Amino acid sequence: MNPPHAAPALLTATDVHKTYGSTPALDGAGFTIRAGEIVAVMGPSGSGKSTLLHCLSGIVPPDSGTIHYAGHDLGALSDAERSALRRTDFGFVFQFGQLVPELTCTENVALPLRLTGVPRKEAERRATEWLTRLEVQDVRHHRPGQISGGQGQRVAVARALVNDPRVLFADEPTGALDSLNGERVMQLLVAAAQETGTAVVLVTHESRVAAYSHREVVVRDGRARDMAGAA
Amino acid sequence: MSAGLAGRDRADTRPGGAHGPQGPRGGGSTSWRRDLGIGARFALASGRSGRVRTVLTAVGVGLGVAVLLLAASVPAMLTARTDRSDARQIVWNDGPTPGQDAFRFTGADTTYRGQDIGGYWVQPEAGADTTAPPPPGTDRWPAPGELFVSPALDRLLDSDDGALLAERLSGERVGSIGQEGLVGSGELYFYAGTDDLPADSPRSVAWGVSTRGEAIGPTLTLLILIVCVVLLMPVAVFIGTAVRFGGERRDRRLAALRLVGADTAMTRRVAAGEALTGAVLGLLFGVALFFLGRQFLGGITFRGESGYPSDIVPSPALALVIALAVPVSAVVVTLLALRGVVIEPLGVVREAAGRPRRLGWRLVPGVLGLLLLAPLAVTYQAADDLTLVQAAVGVVALLVGVTVVLPWLVERVVARLHRGPVSWQLAVRRLQLSSGPAARAVSGITVAVAGATALSMLLSGVEDEQTFDTGQDPSRAQYEVVAYGLDTAASRRLVSDVGGQPGVDATLGSVNAWGVETDAGMFDFQIADCAALREVVETDSCEPGDVFLTETGRPGGGPEHPDPGQELHFTGEQGSWTVPADARVVPPRLDPSGVESSGVFATPEALDQGTLPDVITRVLVRVDPGEPDAVERIRNVAWGYGFDTAIWNMQSQRTSEEFQRIERGLLVGATGIMLIIGLSMVVSTVEQLRERKRLLSVLVAFGTRRRTLGVSVLWQSAVPVVLGLALASLVGTVLGGLLLAMVDVPVGSWFVFWPMAMAGAGVIAMVTFASLPPLWRLMRADGLRTE
Repeated sequence: MNPPHAAPALLTATDVHKTYGSTPALDGAGFTIRAGEIVAVMGPSGSGKSTLLHCLSGIVPPDSGTIHYAGHDLGALSDAERSALRRTDFGFVFQFGQLVPELTCTENVALPLRLTGVPRKEAERRATEWLTRLEVQDVRHHRPGQISGGQGQRVAVARALVNDPRVLFADEPTGALDSLNGERVMQLLVAAAQETGTAVVLVTHESRVAAYSHREVVVRDGRARDMAGAA
Repeated sequence: MSAGLAGRDRADTRPGGAHGPQGPRGGGSTSWRRDLGIGARFALASGRSGRVRTVLTAVGVGLGVAVLLLAASVPAMLTARTDRSDARQIVWNDGPTPGQDAFRFTGADTTYRGQDIGGYWVQPEAGADTTAPPPPGTDRWPAPGELFVSPALDRLLDSDDGALLAERLSGERVGSIGQEGLVGSGELYFYAGTDDLPADSPRSVAWGVSTRGEAIGPTLTLLILIVCVVLLMPVAVFIGTAVRFGGERRDRRLAALRLVGADTAMTRRVAAGEALTGAVLGLLFGVALFFLGRQFLGGITFRGESGYPSDIVPSPALALVIALAVPVSAVVVTLLALRGVVIEPLGVVREAAGRPRRLGWRLVPGVLGLLLLAPLAVTYQAADDLTLVQAAVGVVALLVGVTVVLPWLVERVVARLHRGPVSWQLAVRRLQLSSGPAARAVSGITVAVAGATALSMLLSGVEDEQTFDTGQDPSRAQYEVVAYGLDTAASRRLVSDVGGQPGVDATLGSVNAWGVETDAGMFDFQIADCAALREVVETDSCEPGDVFLTETGRPGGGPEHPDPGQELHFTGEQGSWTVPADARVVPPRLDPSGVESSGVFATPEALDQGTLPDVITRVLVRVDPGEPDAVERIRNVAWGYGFDTAIWNMQSQRTSEEFQRIERGLLVGATGIMLIIGLSMVVSTVEQLRERKRLLSVLVAFGTRRRTLGVSVLWQSAVPVVLGLALASLVGTVLGGLLLAMVDVPVGSWFVFWPMAMAGAGVIAMVTFASLPPLWRLMRADGLRTE
């Protein structure tokens, strides 16, 4: 894919360290992504990919190093401020969808909007729009337990994009799907992200998924290496 | 692992020869053993989360088992207490024959700062050479001036708190009373040796009577029965809940089993094996907890009641029932719970068809309970064993009705709840998807509230019946000191000594002789100064030397007072006395002890107390409420005036002691049960939250406020709790009304459910707050990690 025109860095990580117990997960990792850019974070299991994503999204504070988002140092923000940032500027897709099982698909997608104070009817109207865009409008009244894995992952993508995030964090979004469903989910995700100008941090270990990105970053032993730069 | 498991299954089932094309089938004993064994391995060796689930189940079941074993020990506990209490009663009905090596005794019970202290003054007639058996729990008779005391009394006397009591029990402590002489380890008891007991004191040659088998009244029987049922039902409900901990995770494991060839029946047997393992471990844990707990229980005293660890022995038959019923019920509950679940090989677990709960069969237990209890409201007779069984079964059925109707009620109501804020929506949707676990979690507390409400109604109604007005007036005097056989000087000294104690506001002393035989009839006499006489007769004027005559108008008998100027000759050697001619006939007045007396009321100047036989000195005392130890000083003073002194507390109402003991039993039991239920609900709630750890982390990841999730958990608990308490209050009130009708007592109040419901709500609030710290922990991003 062709990268977007040169734009200022939206999210930058510098010399990030993170250790769980005695196990170092990140050891001086760096990362940059521009608005509208899709960057695949690759690496073997246990290399620190997901930890890098958690640090970049402000879910987990790094032990050291800095992460800047749109001019804000995430380390300087309070937990409440980081939570607010995730509600308004970030979206998330995880390997197993992680939809709330008791809510219908529409309610699941509307949830991020409702958390930011959008009235229920308006939130559900916009949710229905996104479900239509991702071709799962037929299951909008179903609960997650009543739909297939591929449908569930598309609902999860809709939920991640419904609040027009500036950055979408996708952690193995097709990891639980067969190749056909995985391809379709990636096509829809990338199309929707490009349409809205959303940057995508795509954690994967599958090269066919990474092929949807503009650039690849490989994480190994807690360090990130930009393959474009390497080339 | 899958291949190995499947291979092992085939090898194990070969002897049965019941292989179908899809693998091993059938429900023979071999299959059961094999599948239960697989379940046991899952329970014990399926990683940390599996072990945590097993431990939670074991802890939950263990708590319940410990309570059941404790309840099963109540008969032995009561028997041991009664036996020891009987063993120290003194046999004196017939009295010893002359020449027997007898001992004299008199009761020395006293009270100290609200604690009852039991004891005897004892005096072997042969002194140190006596061969009469010493008091139970002692190895010899206390010599004059010596005391044998219980360990608890010994500690109290040694403490600063017991300083005032030490002035009263000032003898030399020469030994402790052993367990065989005490009802409980915390009992305050003593034997005091003396050589001063009057010759007409009671005599005996032996200790020990038997009161076993004495019947108690129908109302009390019913009360005890209901207390037992009400306290044990929540425990049974809780055990049923505990064996279902971690159901969702277990279902996923079973789906994996289906993938390697297990059929539906096999997966159910495996699930039963898991539950059975948890229940058996819980049984062992409960037994251990019981034995540890009884050591602890033996050392505590609650509201004056205590016991010994060795008394707490479960009835073998009941223990056997518990040992069998707990594992069996674990298997039955698990199999019933799996009825509505379809476990498919691809790891997908869905509720079967989402069929709404039906009300029909759920009404059966409640209706059965009503049908059993309603006829008793007309014909209850506690003497009939069959009737008691009918009453017990009726109460159990009605309370079971609460637990089976509650899930239906919760499901129906939450289905109609409308949308609201995100926290409300999350909670309501969760309940709509699966209200069963929430309803089960509160079912124990609803049974407890329903039962306690019914008991409260019964107690409040019966309390009115068992409580009677004494006629005493505590505003005029709070205590009455009574001493027998004092001479004039000693009587005056007693009044003066009591009046001189700090905290004593006023005293009214009098000398009484009741039923004095004279040649003119039998009359009551009272000698007191004018201030005291004004408390017992209606008169405007009183001067030293005055005499008043009263009559109460009681039916039958002779004249209540002699005539003015009449000369009376006392029977015996007391001589005679002439009623002054100016003695006035006046109306009697109720004295502070609630007695209206007739007879002769004389000032000391008019009648010398030495003239009268068998006089009793009474001192009515009013104390300063701000001096709580004033009464202890009064008791100390009275103690010094011989063996025949007593102090009575004036109360406008008195309640039967048996009734108060049942109330105490209910309080002790209800406190324990509430704690167990509260603890179990914390475990259950945390377990449910653990199941949702990853989802909670995801919700936090995309910015959900912790407060939103916390409030959601609160709503999730509150909705079923409110419904449960409403149902419990209704059923409890109906049951209470029926029970009162059975004992033919009118309903005192229809609103006694209110404090019970509030207490239940308090427990739920406590559980919710106790669940918040684990909720905060589970919402951390750690839940997103998979490696």
